[in-house]
Amino acid sequence: MIMLNWAILIVPVYLLAGNKELTPSDVLEVSIPEVTVTAGGSSVIKMKVEIKKGYHIQANKVNDDLLIPTTLKINEDKNITTGRQEFPPAKKFKLEGTENFLDVYDGTFEIKIPFKTIKKIPKGKYLLNAKLNYQACDNRSCLFPKSIRFSILVIVI
Amino acid sequence: MKSIWKSLVLFAAISFSIVSVAQEQQPMLGQPAPSFALKAIDGKTYSLEQLRGKYLVIHFAATWCPFCNAEAPYLQELSKNYRDKGVEVFIVDVKEDKALVEKSFARFNFSFPVLLDEDGAISTKYAPEGVQPDLARHEVPLASNLIIDKQGKIRFYSLLNTTTFDAKLTKLKEKLDSLLNSK
Repeated sequence: MIMLNWAILIVPVYLLAGNKELTPSDVLEVSIPEVTVTAGGSSVIKMKVEIKKGYHIQANKVNDDLLIPTTLKINEDKNITTGRQEFPPAKKFKLEGTENFLDVYDGTFEIKIPFKTIKKIPKGKYLLNAKLNYQACDNRSCLFPKSIRFSILVIVI
Repeated sequence: MKSIWKSLVLFAAISFSIVSVAQEQQPMLGQPAPSFALKAIDGKTYSLEQLRGKYLVIHFAATWCPFCNAEAPYLQELSKNYRDKGVEVFIVDVKEDKALVEKSFARFNFSFPVLLDEDGAISTKYAPEGVQPDLARHEVPLASNLIIDKQGKIRFYSLLNTTTFDAKLTKLKEKLDSLLNSK
């Protein structure tokens, strides 16, 4: 009897799960270790992007200007200036049936963001709001361009 | 107790195979194509009703879609080669504005209409039920190709599959030839 109740419970959960629309975090996740820096000092933020299995996203440099490259926008703080972002080299994704390749990222990759603080920055915690823009595809679909918002914690000691 | 477990396993297996088959086989074949009346970037409105009596090839696209853009030159070629045979080619651009579509697709010099499905409503109507249930419905038909026959029925519907991607539209042309030859 108990098993029968489980059967009744499992069926609707299974069906409901299939109707949930993907959210940006279903496609990729961003993680950033907190960064510590001294006043007037500089450091590098190392941001990890983990793309879910089966998906790829367009690289930061794309070989066709119609494609949506992966870009990172950071809202700067008046005390913290970020420098030129460093994206990893792209992987080649063959467009089957053609001689063309896409430049993409899949799996896990890192974006390095150098930054510096002004000398008069007070000690404390600073949050830099950021947004990663990307366009993802898997074997069966290409998703509309999406953004994922997050904050980067910088601790000034 | 054992039989309940067996039933559960059987149910899961059947559900899985239904979903798999729905995704592998062409959906909506033989069904009446959902009606549409859309404005094209040339300013004219095209409706399924007014196109009755012709074979239609419809490709759902967006300017940023890499697979759509890879097919674009072959759609143009198809349009050129099949127009005299009573085949009209259309792109239905999904959820983008006219200015962007016009500018982005200029490079392809399409001689056929590019229709604007700006709110994604038509694309949603063409999303086969049960296919890709985790996507927004207007996203499902992106990069798909359809053939609609003279009576307005769907005769070919290839959803995107990047592992067997057919940029040159070989299978679509085979089907089109077979439909044209069986007249």
